[in-house]
Amino acid sequence: MDLEHADCVLIQGSSMAEAHPVGFRWVMRAKERGATIIHVDPRFSRTSAMADIWAPLRVGTDIVFLGGLIRYVLEHERYFRDYVVNYTNAAAIVGRGYVDTEQLDGLFSGWDPASKSYDPASWFYDAGAPAPHSPNEPVVAKDASSQNDPTSQKNPILSNNGADVGSPRDRAVAGGSGARDPSLRHHNCVFQILRRHFARYTPEMVERACGVPQKTFHRIAQELCDNSGRERTTAICYALGWTQHTKGVQVIRSAAILQLLLGNIGRPGGGIMALRGHASIQGSTDIPTLYDILPGYLKMPEALSHEGDDTLAAYVSRHGNRLGWWAHTETYMVSLLRAWYGDAARADNDWGFGLLPRICGDHSHFPTFCDMADNKMEGMFIMGQNPAVGGQNSRLERRALAQLDWLVVRDLVETETAAFWYDSPEIERGELRTREIGTEVFLMPAAGHAEKEGTFTNTQRLLQWREKAVDPPGDARSEAWFIVHLGRRLRARARAEAKANAEAATGADAPLLALTWDYELEGAYLEPKIEQVVIEINGYRFGDGAPVAGFSELRGDGSTACGCWIYSGVYPSKGRNRAAERKPKGRYGHGWGFTWPADRRILYNRASADPEGRPWSERKKLIWWDPAEARWRGFDTPDFPVDKSPHYRPGRPRASGVSAKSDIAAGAARPAPEGLDGLSGLDGHAGTSPFLMQPDGVAWLFAPIGLKDGPLPTHYEPVESPTGNLLYPGQAANPAAERFERPDNPLITSGDPAYPYALTTYRLTEHHTAGGMSRWLSRLAELQPEMFCEISPELAEEVGVSHSDWVVVRTPRGAIEARALVTRRIRPLRIDTQLRVAGTIGPVDPATPSDSPRPDPADPSYSIQSATTSDSVASHFRTIHQVAMPFHWGRRGLVTGDSANDLIPLLGEPNVSIHESKALLCNLEPGRLPRGAPVLRPGLDSGASHEPGERG
Amino acid sequence: MSIDGQLLPEPGRTSAFFTDVTTCIGCKACEVACKEWNLIPATNEINMRWRGRSYDHGQGLGHSSYRHVKFVEQNQPLGGQLTDPEHPFRWVFLSDVCKHCEHAGCMELCPTGAIVRTEFNTVFVQPDVCNGCGYCVVGCPFGVIDRRPDDGRAFKCTFCYDRQVVGEIPACAKACPTDAIRFGPYDVLREQADRRVELLHARGVPEARLETGEGTSVGHTNAFSLLVDRPEPFGLPPNPIVPSMHLKVAWTSALLTAAALGIVLLGAFAVG
Amino acid sequence: MSRERKPDAASEARLLELRRQASEGSGESHTPPESRPSVTDGYYGQPVVKAPVWTWEVPTYFAVGGIAGMAAAIAAAVAWTSSTSVEGSVTSSIGVGIGIGWTARVVALVGAVLSGALLVSDLGRPSRFLYMLRIVKLSSPMSIGAWLLTVFGALVGVAVLLGGMADAADAEWVGRLDRLVIAGSGLAGLMLATYTGVLLAATVIPVWASHRALLPVHFGLSSPGSAAAVLELLGYHDLALNRVGLLVAFAETLLLLWMEMHTHAWTKPLRDGSSGLQIRVAGVLTGPLALALRAVGQPPILRLAAAVFFVTGSVLSRFAWVAAGRESAKDPRATFEWQRVWEKRS
Ligand SMILES: Nc1nc2c(c(=O)[nH]1)N[C@H]1C(S)=C(S)[C@@H](COP(=O)(O)OP(=O)(O)OC[C@H]3O[C@@H](n4cnc5c(=O)[nH]c(N)nc54)[C@H](O)[C@@H]3O)O[C@H]1N2
Ligand SMILES: Nc1nc2c(c(=O)[nH]1)N[C@H]1C(S)=C(S)[C@@H](COP(=O)(O)OP(=O)(O)OC[C@H]3O[C@@H](n4cnc5c(=O)[nH]c(N)nc54)[C@H](O)[C@@H]3O)O[C@H]1N2
Ligand code: SF4
Ligand code: SF4
Ligand code: SF4
Ligand code: SF4
Ligand code: SF4
Ligand SMILES: [Mo]
Repeated sequence: MDLEHADCVLIQGSSMAEAHPVGFRWVMRAKERGATIIHVDPRFSRTSAMADIWAPLRVGTDIVFLGGLIRYVLEHERYFRDYVVNYTNAAAIVGRGYVDTEQLDGLFSGWDPASKSYDPASWFYDAGAPAPHSPNEPVVAKDASSQNDPTSQKNPILSNNGADVGSPRDRAVAGGSGARDPSLRHHNCVFQILRRHFARYTPEMVERACGVPQKTFHRIAQELCDNSGRERTTAICYALGWTQHTKGVQVIRSAAILQLLLGNIGRPGGGIMALRGHASIQGSTDIPTLYDILPGYLKMPEALSHEGDDTLAAYVSRHGNRLGWWAHTETYMVSLLRAWYGDAARADNDWGFGLLPRICGDHSHFPTFCDMADNKMEGMFIMGQNPAVGGQNSRLERRALAQLDWLVVRDLVETETAAFWYDSPEIERGELRTREIGTEVFLMPAAGHAEKEGTFTNTQRLLQWREKAVDPPGDARSEAWFIVHLGRRLRARARAEAKANAEAATGADAPLLALTWDYELEGAYLEPKIEQVVIEINGYRFGDGAPVAGFSELRGDGSTACGCWIYSGVYPSKGRNRAAERKPKGRYGHGWGFTWPADRRILYNRASADPEGRPWSERKKLIWWDPAEARWRGFDTPDFPVDKSPHYRPGRPRASGVSAKSDIAAGAARPAPEGLDGLSGLDGHAGTSPFLMQPDGVAWLFAPIGLKDGPLPTHYEPVESPTGNLLYPGQAANPAAERFERPDNPLITSGDPAYPYALTTYRLTEHHTAGGMSRWLSRLAELQPEMFCEISPELAEEVGVSHSDWVVVRTPRGAIEARALVTRRIRPLRIDTQLRVAGTIGPVDPATPSDSPRPDPADPSYSIQSATTSDSVASHFRTIHQVAMPFHWGRRGLVTGDSANDLIPLLGEPNVSIHESKALLCNLEPGRLPRGAPVLRPGLDSGASHEPGERG
Repeated sequence: MSIDGQLLPEPGRTSAFFTDVTTCIGCKACEVACKEWNLIPATNEINMRWRGRSYDHGQGLGHSSYRHVKFVEQNQPLGGQLTDPEHPFRWVFLSDVCKHCEHAGCMELCPTGAIVRTEFNTVFVQPDVCNGCGYCVVGCPFGVIDRRPDDGRAFKCTFCYDRQVVGEIPACAKACPTDAIRFGPYDVLREQADRRVELLHARGVPEARLETGEGTSVGHTNAFSLLVDRPEPFGLPPNPIVPSMHLKVAWTSALLTAAALGIVLLGAFAVG
Repeated sequence: MSRERKPDAASEARLLELRRQASEGSGESHTPPESRPSVTDGYYGQPVVKAPVWTWEVPTYFAVGGIAGMAAAIAAAVAWTSSTSVEGSVTSSIGVGIGIGWTARVVALVGAVLSGALLVSDLGRPSRFLYMLRIVKLSSPMSIGAWLLTVFGALVGVAVLLGGMADAADAEWVGRLDRLVIAGSGLAGLMLATYTGVLLAATVIPVWASHRALLPVHFGLSSPGSAAAVLELLGYHDLALNRVGLLVAFAETLLLLWMEMHTHAWTKPLRDGSSGLQIRVAGVLTGPLALALRAVGQPPILRLAAAVFFVTGSVLSRFAWVAAGRESAKDPRATFEWQRVWEKRS
């Protein structure tokens, strides 16, 4: 909604108009007000049609493009200096052990080839560097007439050089205070590292690698810079075009760096907008359906970690932070345990921490399905998902389903997943036979969203209440009904067993029996009372049972319970459900629904004011410090302690390093749980530190910890790419990417002439994901009745098809047929496809670099080119064709067609395990796919010969 | 009257649609909302097949689709939009609908009086009067109204008369996420449209123009649109001619012929 | 793993076959490759106006109504040009002694009833046929036509009744009334035969509207020709009938020539395709062929042949014009071109 206030909107990696038409309303509003709309996408889509500028880009090269923009901003001195110096870690000095990809040909220091993972220790801030300037001091341009606050003091905690205390995150930034150079000139300060890192991401490089014409690139760079700064802001919107890559997180990091340099975070019309998927997918990350986090982004405890999550104390010291908001980790965890286990969570049993399940590895989608395929799983609940169509390498996934003993599918319709055992391409081809499938499938009808009440959390973190419109038909029931009644039955059984056998009560059933499962049931269907669930999520006090007004009222002493701390405040008092409120007021519509946290519509909005607390400009004011009232005021709820003065500095250092006001003991293993609310964790932050979730209170241009594939984004090709890596010939794809190397998941070697075309997948406005909610509805089904792929006229000619003809799209995973939609909207790109040639320089020895003298980037003779491999590799421009196809079709419903996911391999991004559905390779053949014949040709398609089920 | 800037229907005032191709994102929400609201029967056999007019696989406006989004893909640039410098092209979407003409061809021809003008000055087919003669079908210069084969009666956009009488705006306009379909009194929208064209001209889209029917025999159309080309590529008539334009000549011809033939016959038999 | 794509005869044949299957799959012709919306071709060649939904009943009605109307006109002409009202100047050669006037009335009545039936059966809601008479709408030729047919049917009915009575009751007033009634039905009949041209002309179908002056003439002319031919075929070898036949065949020949000379983008369906063929065959049948046969005149069988051809041609031409209308509606170029030459209303 705030997009409306942007002066420029860059949409990249999303077809926002198509997948988020309602959200796009605000982009159109901005356009009406004169904003420039830019779309960078391999396809000219309905979003591009609305844009002022469309840049076609080769799939999987977004980091080169964004890196090019970062370099442009840095080299043309277009960054927002006051913002960058004060609100980011640009000034932080990184330890000497850090070596960049520019020296190591695509690897950062700390890489362990054996475990294929990084040890981030060398990325930490320099713990020993002298402080050339007073740290944590607002540094504003001289003419900004700012006086340094005379009360400013050194940050006691940050200046503590004992780098081996606290959680890993604490340790990573421990050096930060002592090692800052607000002049940004220090050789190893983040800013200079950034300059060197992106020096080769030139406009020429962008053109060579991405296929974006230099003219177009310059135009975009200028628009972004012209529309950023004090007076103007630019917003960036992205979605799957960035995430569905083996380097997805780093693409988003690139955008974050760009936006921070331009000063566009925490300000009206700025920010980076992740356009989330399903109606409440944001909600199901907040209260996660993910295996590795608990509600409110608390980490899931691990069983096998050598550092150990055995006790609550160990967990908190490992995952909490001494500084910043995560200092409250224990409070939130205890409240969560109290919400779930009630009286079974007591001070004397570590608040029931031992009752929580532990994870013992990667339990994400792909490993689970691989285990299933390998017959290591007995049964599965699939609720509201259709992996037989939506899952990657869906042929593998369908065959995996056939290995289960039982499968429960809860859905609105009989999806391909529910019907895999009698209607699937494998059955049609004779790879599977119904008679031989042992899986017992239970299809349970689910109530649709109009048939139940509850909240949706949208992409802006806004919780909106939805009333029930009609009763669900027949036996269809809500998810809540199903889970609550399933829980009741399981508990009844466990109780019975416990009666018979006392041991059972303390064994595996103990957590189940300990759960507070006293949901009130109402109505003819005995539906659980959803309001009660909302109160549990919001949090309440033991004793009077009254809801807490917000997370600041939560306590770590067991006196409060809270199911999800970030949602706290949605039900602040008896009978007041803020999600259901519908009286919008003011610029940001406060009063309509409830935005977590604490109804803050724009996160980190402290950054909308300068270090002194004054708006950067009248035009872009959002919140500001009111000295008269000694409070933050403005159009939004401040995302900052409301009475914390911009002039506040953490207490004077004492010998022990403990601040006067804070009871955080600097040397202690963990913060004391008491008195942490409100102020304590942030006590260590100055009044100029907007990024309160960060331990050092500033945004990280350089991530000293937290990412599995490097502190900075760096370009890697997709695992399956038509070209080599221009920037790092020695390192084609993300080294940390998860590859599921197994015979039924064959990968194409980049450059394989049998698969010359780049393939990407996307969604259509007319359908929804795997089709369960659109292919069964005539009004939607008719709008896009057949599977197709979009290709350029040039590719159509090369393949020998015309518009509307059938083509077969082939990868080693499978082959499918589709109509050819021949259009100029897909453009062949001229790409420099050089692959690695002999004689490239070897990696710089990581042991020595920090001591050897480094060239000064400010020196005119400085050239990063000299350190790279470009001379040793010959340019080789080639036309790269891209094929784009939607993935909505399957065998069932009113309109049917082949599924794109039969083509796509299992591949995982190292941080969040997302698949690479946006960039792979394929071949096209004219004609239709012979039905019933084997999909892969043994001997011709790699992997085909390994297929056990393959016949003739 | 307006709520949050949304203009509301008022009996006695001309209701209008202003559809703007420069803000339409081709999402087809209007099409679906219309079918849902009007409970248009699904015509699966006819509709669920590939037609490949860009993303348009629909039947076009007709007895079972009162809104229809056209996908105009052309090899020419749109204003100053930067796309492909070598092969300029553009993609424009028009959500087409019954024009609710000032001089409505369908209404002129309807022999039963089933087609009437409402208190919102819109053109409405009364389903309880229409006898399915099919004459209106060849009376509409925009190819809108059609006879539903199984039902036998003629159907077209009702301008959501049933919503307007209770003060609601039409379903399609309500569903449109980008306000590409604007609803309101004709005079207000017409004025907005002029300003919009001026703005677009100033912003470097010189091809922006209104298609209002003005100056042609339909008079003005209550549903008018902003296009970025001549009407033809959008499947609209360049100079719509209502049937009544032909009445004088045709009836004169008929009367003279009849008279002449009468005389001839009399003569033939009088001669003996 | 080498990529081979060397087309050979077999692969090409397979490709062709697949293409054929693919295009048949949807039963409808696809947008031609690279076809783009343009000022000439419109929106991917899609029609701008809707084709008529009428089925065979309507063109049949055009023909039957025309014959009925002109039969009544002939009956009126007979009545007003001979001493007796019902007895014609000539009696049938089949010798039943029934006058031509009387037969013409019966033909008119049968035609009127048939016309009504045809019209009702073409309605989407036949049970609502009476709704045609809810109002009189001058702007709707169909409304006028419905009233015309009603009045005509009523008058012809009375005329037949009076004709029957006139033989029996020799009352003076019956004769006078009869002459008035038959005159009325004759006038209505003349209009019934010509208004169908207006009905087609007053539409948005380019090929119809652009022939708005010609259609009433054409439908008008061929109706007395057909009525005369029907009577001839019923055995009346009246010179007058032959004269009418000659005259209209001559006029139809002129029309045919005129049409052949005036070609535009929007007259394509009159020349090309099935509708064009029908139009031309019908034109030859009612024009030059009928004219030639009648001009030769002897033996009488030639005149009968002319009559058969003329009726056939005239019925065919109604079908042809409706078919041409359908084609014309489908062709956006016809609409565009026709509208471009149409001057703007001031
Ligand atoms: N109508 C509709 N709306 C939906 C959905 C739906 O199925 N239908 N699904 C919902 C869900 S679950 C989600 S997650 C969201 C997803 O929303 P989006 O991410 O917007 O959807 P996609 O179409 O998958 O992908 C977006 C764009 O990425 C482009 N792209 C592909 N590869 C690359 C690349 O390498 N770089 C860049 N820059 N772009 C690339 C594609 O061409 C496409 O235009 O949409 C949600 N909204
Ligand atoms: N190639 C390729 N593959 C992709 C993507 C891509 O871009 N390219 N996108 C990926 C993304 S982002 C996503 S989110 C996935 C989506 O993939 P899936 O989640 O597998 O697919 P959906 O069709 O969204 O499945 C949701 C199902 O839930 C049912 N449903 C709806 N409401 C309810 C309810 O209230 N209760 C229950 N029990 N069921 C309900 C629907 O009928 C539907 O069948 O696809 C992924 N797959
Ligand atoms: S379908 Fe729902 S969630 Fe998606 S854009 Fe439309 S309104 Fe928003
Ligand atoms: S557009 Fe056609 S259907 Fe609509 S009012 Fe005008 S003539 Fe009638
Ligand atoms: S079909 Fe119905 S609406 Fe159309 S002209 Fe005939 S009676 Fe009127
Ligand atoms: S006004 Fe109503 S009937 Fe007409 S197109 Fe819109 S929704 Fe459909
Ligand atoms: S709803 Fe609006 S934006 Fe979507 S297609 Fe219709 S007019 Fe265009
Ligand atoms: Mo998604």
